[in-house]
Amino acid sequence: MKFIKNHLMFILPLMAILLGIEFYLVFDRTTDSYEKGLKEGYSMLVVSHKPISLKTLQKLNSHISASEKIERKNIVSEIAKGVSKDASKEILDALPHFYSVRLDSYLGTSQLEQIKKDLEAHSNIKRVETFGSSYSSSYRLFSFIKLSLKIFIAFMAVVSLFLIIKQMEIWKYAHRQRMQVMEIFGAPLMLRSGILFKVAMADAIIAAVLTSLFFLYLKFQWAENSGIDMMMHNKEALFKTTDIGILLVVALSIVIVAVYTVVFSAKGVEE
Amino acid sequence: MSNVISASGITLAYDDGAKEIIKNATFNIKKGEFVFITGPSGSGKSTLLKALYGQLKVNEGNLVIGGLDLATARTRKLQELRTHLGIIFQDYKLVNEWTVAKNVVLPLMIAGYSVDVQNTQAQRLLKHVKLSEHADKYPLELSGGEQQRVGVARALAKNPVVILADEPTGNLDDYSSNVIWDLMENACQQLETTVLVVTHKIPSIFSLPYRHFIIENKGVYEVH
Repeated sequence: MKFIKNHLMFILPLMAILLGIEFYLVFDRTTDSYEKGLKEGYSMLVVSHKPISLKTLQKLNSHISASEKIERKNIVSEIAKGVSKDASKEILDALPHFYSVRLDSYLGTSQLEQIKKDLEAHSNIKRVETFGSSYSSSYRLFSFIKLSLKIFIAFMAVVSLFLIIKQMEIWKYAHRQRMQVMEIFGAPLMLRSGILFKVAMADAIIAAVLTSLFFLYLKFQWAENSGIDMMMHNKEALFKTTDIGILLVVALSIVIVAVYTVVFSAKGVEE
Repeated sequence: MSNVISASGITLAYDDGAKEIIKNATFNIKKGEFVFITGPSGSGKSTLLKALYGQLKVNEGNLVIGGLDLATARTRKLQELRTHLGIIFQDYKLVNEWTVAKNVVLPLMIAGYSVDVQNTQAQRLLKHVKLSEHADKYPLELSGGEQQRVGVARALAKNPVVILADEPTGNLDDYSSNVIWDLMENACQQLETTVLVVTHKIPSIFSLPYRHFIIENKGVYEVH
């Protein structure tokens, strides 16, 4: 019972850190497509006196990645129904040129304002419409969720590290006698701390495997039945094979640092 | 015979040299000698022993043991030296979660001997200290005298050049003490091991010729 408790006290905080990391990875991957959608779904409307090329627009601001001409004929056919051919031709001639402009990345409102300013500075450009308000609120909400998650994970990691250090203190006490005796008789560091390394590494592997199993469950069982579109469509993002490696490396790194701390602080012979 | 231990003007101190325990001590001990170091409580007997197995740095002078100057030796060399020493403590310093047999072969384990050799040696050593039937027990299941016999067996495991003993019978009754003195006399006589014992009192039953040093007023003096 004491043995299980000793190990759980190490495995659980380690799992908390690993869960935090994996949640962040999953969040990053699932929101990646959402972010892409926001980016791609967003476009500026540029109105110019004369036709304007993509190159000219890109010279004005490098964030512009594509431009699509909106056919004036379609606009006229919509607004000039029942109007004579001559009249509709006059309307067509009087109409400026419309372009839907796309951006290369997900930008903040200040950067959008800058693009608008850069474009409007050109004499050929009559007007730029950014549709900023809905975009801005989505962007702010998204940024807020991302930041909150980062803060939460960082906080959880710090608390968990404190718990791991506490557990290390207990291990230090439990193994001190053996390590000191071995040191007196000339055992090198790796030999006298070998058992500690083995135990801690086994715990790290257990923590990484349990975390992986939890996310595999989410991927193959929960996501299917969750009824959440985002989860059902992004099932693959929930857990990737490479995540096992990431979790293992993180867990083993934490364990190695923790064990070395114990080993070096257990030096010296008791009076 | 050559000197196995050679101290030349050594000063030992705690608190970064602020608290001097031994000052400017000089003595030599030859191979196969049995040496007692006595002195009142707190005189520095155990401190000197600690310096001899490299647990305490020498502040001044030279302390050479088995050809290695402990004042300048690096950690790796100190570790190597300790594998050639047999050390016995008043509080036994056995590993309580290990069996008696495993405790006895600790020096062999450190030296990388195979499990078969370790097992054979464990049997031989435990027979030597008359604890064969306790091989699979744990130290806390044994009496103080028996635990110290395990400590002696461990000290003898690798046929050490030097045995250093810190009050080896301090916690034992007369019968157990006599058994321990017998074992150490045998080691000195039969294996020509140098034995250095720190004790508050030289046992009256001791039959071997020995040298006696006393620590007084921070100095180490030989008693003739």
